[in-house]
Amino acid sequence: MTLTDALARPRPRDAGHASPMSLWRLLWLELRRNAMPWMFPLLAALFVFDAFRSAMGYGPFWDLRASALENKLLPDFVAFVAGVAAWMGSRDSRRRTRDLVDATARPRWTAQLTTWAATTLWVAAGFLCCVAVLYGVTASQATWGGPPWWPVAVCLAELALMSALGFAVGTFFPSRFTAPLAAVGAFLLSLEGFRNAVGRSSAYALLSPTTYVPDDDTGLFHHYLPDVSIAQLMFLIGLTMVALAILGLRRAADAGPQLRRAAAVIAVAGLAAAGTAIGLIGTARTQAYGTVIPALHDAANDRPIPYTPVCSQAAGVPVCVHPAYRNFLPDVTAALAPVLREIASLPGAPARVDQVVVNDLIPSNGAAITGVPPVFRLPMPATPDETSFGQNAVSFTSYLQATLVTVFVVGAHGFVTLGPVGGTPAQQAVVLALLQKARTATQTGSGPGNGSHTKADQVAAAARRFAALPATTRHAWLAAHLATLRAGDITLAQLP
Amino acid sequence: MNVEIAGLTRRFGRNQAVAGVDLEAGPGVFGLLGPNGAGKTSLLRMMATVLPPSSGKMRLLGREPGSYGPRREIRRRLGYLPQNLGYYPSFTVVEFVEYFALLKEMPAARVPAAVAAAIERADLGDKARAKLRTLSGGMLRRVGIAQAIVNDPELLLLDEPTAGLDPEQRVAFRALLRNLGERATVVVSTHLVEDVGAACTEVALMNAGKIVFRGTPEQLTAKGEGHGVGDAPLERGYSAVLTEARS
Repeated sequence: MTLTDALARPRPRDAGHASPMSLWRLLWLELRRNAMPWMFPLLAALFVFDAFRSAMGYGPFWDLRASALENKLLPDFVAFVAGVAAWMGSRDSRRRTRDLVDATARPRWTAQLTTWAATTLWVAAGFLCCVAVLYGVTASQATWGGPPWWPVAVCLAELALMSALGFAVGTFFPSRFTAPLAAVGAFLLSLEGFRNAVGRSSAYALLSPTTYVPDDDTGLFHHYLPDVSIAQLMFLIGLTMVALAILGLRRAADAGPQLRRAAAVIAVAGLAAAGTAIGLIGTARTQAYGTVIPALHDAANDRPIPYTPVCSQAAGVPVCVHPAYRNFLPDVTAALAPVLREIASLPGAPARVDQVVVNDLIPSNGAAITGVPPVFRLPMPATPDETSFGQNAVSFTSYLQATLVTVFVVGAHGFVTLGPVGGTPAQQAVVLALLQKARTATQTGSGPGNGSHTKADQVAAAARRFAALPATTRHAWLAAHLATLRAGDITLAQLP
Repeated sequence: MNVEIAGLTRRFGRNQAVAGVDLEAGPGVFGLLGPNGAGKTSLLRMMATVLPPSSGKMRLLGREPGSYGPRREIRRRLGYLPQNLGYYPSFTVVEFVEYFALLKEMPAARVPAAVAAAIERADLGDKARAKLRTLSGGMLRRVGIAQAIVNDPELLLLDEPTAGLDPEQRVAFRALLRNLGERATVVVSTHLVEDVGAACTEVALMNAGKIVFRGTPEQLTAKGEGHGVGDAPLERGYSAVLTEARS
C-alpha cells in the first residue's frame, strides 16, 4: 500500500486509554533511545580507576569495601546522571517537539515521567553493574559476612534524586548549556556544597550519603546501624518526589484533575518525608559502634555479632582473630611472636591474644591486657591488602608489636597510635629495648614522642644499654622490677 | 460540523495574530491560504489545542477544548503536523510514529498495525527502520505526516505539509489528502495554491489575522478573472482577493 493506493480503513470509534501496556511500551521506547548508555564507557573507566581501585585498597571486609560506593562511585555517577537527565528533560524544547507532544492526549507529565524513569533505570542498571563487580570480587576474597545493601539503596536513592533534579532543571531551563551546568552543579552539590551549606560538623551533613562512613569493624563485631541510612532514604526519596511533582504541577492545566491531585499529594508526601528525615537526623548521636537515631534505632542491632574466632598456636600462646581476618592470621602471629617470646613468663605476660573491636573513642583503640590469666586484647586496623599485610607489612608489624609492648609495659594509656609516646622515660626506654630485641626497631613512631632532644637521646641510650644486656639478665631484671616500672617509680638512671 | 469557530482571537503582546476568525468545517479537505504572517499557523495551533485563544469560541469534534476532559478526547482524535517539525534524531521511523501513537493513547494492541499502515501511507516502508537523523528533509516531512495520521484522526491539521516534498511525492500526497478527507476534516495550511486546487473541497484565505475569503477553489479562481498577477487561474484569484483585502 502506498500513498496512491491507500485504502479506507475502519475508523476507531473507541477512545484509547492509558493502559499499563501502553505505558510499558512508551518506557521501552525511551529506554531504547535514552542518552544514558552513551555515558557507560566513561563511567566504567571511572569505576575501574577510582571506586574499584579505592575499594581494593581495603582488605576483603564487606562494609569497608562498600564504603567506596558512597564515597567514590556515587560522586562519579552523580555528575553524569544530572547532566544526562537535564539533557533528556530539555529534549522536547531542544528538538522543537513541544507542539507535537502537547497536541497528544497523554498528559505531558506522564510522558515526562517515562523519560525520567528510563534515564533513572539506566543509571540504576549501570550503578548496580559496578556494585555487582565490586561485591563479586569481594565475595571471592572475603572469609566472613555478606554484602551490605543499605549503602546500595541509599546510593540508588541519591541517583534518583539527582536524575529528578537534573530532569527538572532541563525542563525549566532548556538549552544546550543546561546539561553541562547541571552536571557540574550536581557534582559540587553532592560532594561539597551540601556539607558546606549545613556545616561540616553538623548532624544535618549526615543527610548527604557521601558524608557518612561506617567504622572499620562494622559488620564484623557489631551490626551495620541502618539508622542514618533510613533517614537518608527518607530525605532523598522525599526530595525526589517533590522534584517530580513540581513537573506535574507546573503544567497543571494540561494534567487534568486526577493527575493534579496526584502531583499535589506526591509533593506534600515528599515534603513530609524530607522534613521528617531532617528532624530525625537532628537527633542523631555518635556511639561507639556507629551513629544512632533514637526514633529509628533497633536495639537488636546493638547486640554483638556472634562468631567463632580462628586461632593459631605458632607464637607459643593462642593468637585468635575474627574469622574475617582468617587469611591474616599467619601475619599477625608472625608479628607478635618475637615480642611474646621476649616477655614470656614475666608478670602479666599474655597467655592469649584475642582480637577485639576497634573503639575509636578511647586512645588505645581498645588495646589492653586484662583478665586472669592475662589476655592481650588487640584491635586490628583495617588491613589494606587482600590476604596478607602485603606491602604494608612493615608498618602493620610495627603497629602490632608496639601495641603489645606498650600495653604490657606502660598500660593502655601509653598507647596512642603507632608506638609508645606515653609513659615515663624509663618505661619508654624499656619499650624501645624490647622492640629492638624483637628486631623491630620501628622506623615510624617508635621513638619517644615527647620531651626534649636531650631527654630523647637519654632514653635512646638507655634503651640501647638495656637491649644490650644478656637476655637472662634483662629478663631477670624485668621479672624483679616490672611492677615498679609500671608504677612509674623507676628512673632512667636506675635501668641497668 | 467538526470545526466550529466564532470570533476567535489570539494576541502575542501588542501583535494580534488572529483577529476574530469565524469558521465552520465538516468532513473534507479545507485549504487555508494566506501570505506570511497572516495568522494561519496561530489558527492551526489553537485548533490543535496547544495554543489557548485570547478570546472567542471554538468547538472541535463537538467538544469545547477549554476544559481538560473534552480537550483530551479531542486530542485522541486529532492529527497535527506543525510547520516546523521537531523530531528525535536517534529514533527510527517506526519508533517515532509508535511513540506518538502511544502519546495519542491509542490502545496498545492496535498500535503496531496502525504504525505500519501510517508508514505505508506516507510511502516510507523502505525507510521504516532508518534513524531519523539519516533522512532527508522531504522524508522527515513524510514522517511527520505518518505520525499525524497514525491514529486515523477525525480532525487532521497540516501546516505546510508539502514543504520539502518532491513533485512526485506532492502528487501522491494530494491523493492521500483526498482519501483522508472522505471521512475526516483535514485542514491544510499552505502557501502553494496548486495544492489547494488539486486536493481541497473548500478554501479560506487569511490576511492580517482575518479570513478575507471563504469558498470553493472554483470560486477563488473566479475571483481572479481579469486580474493580471499570477501564472495560474487560482493564483490570480488568490492575488485578487488579497489585493482587495489590503485596499
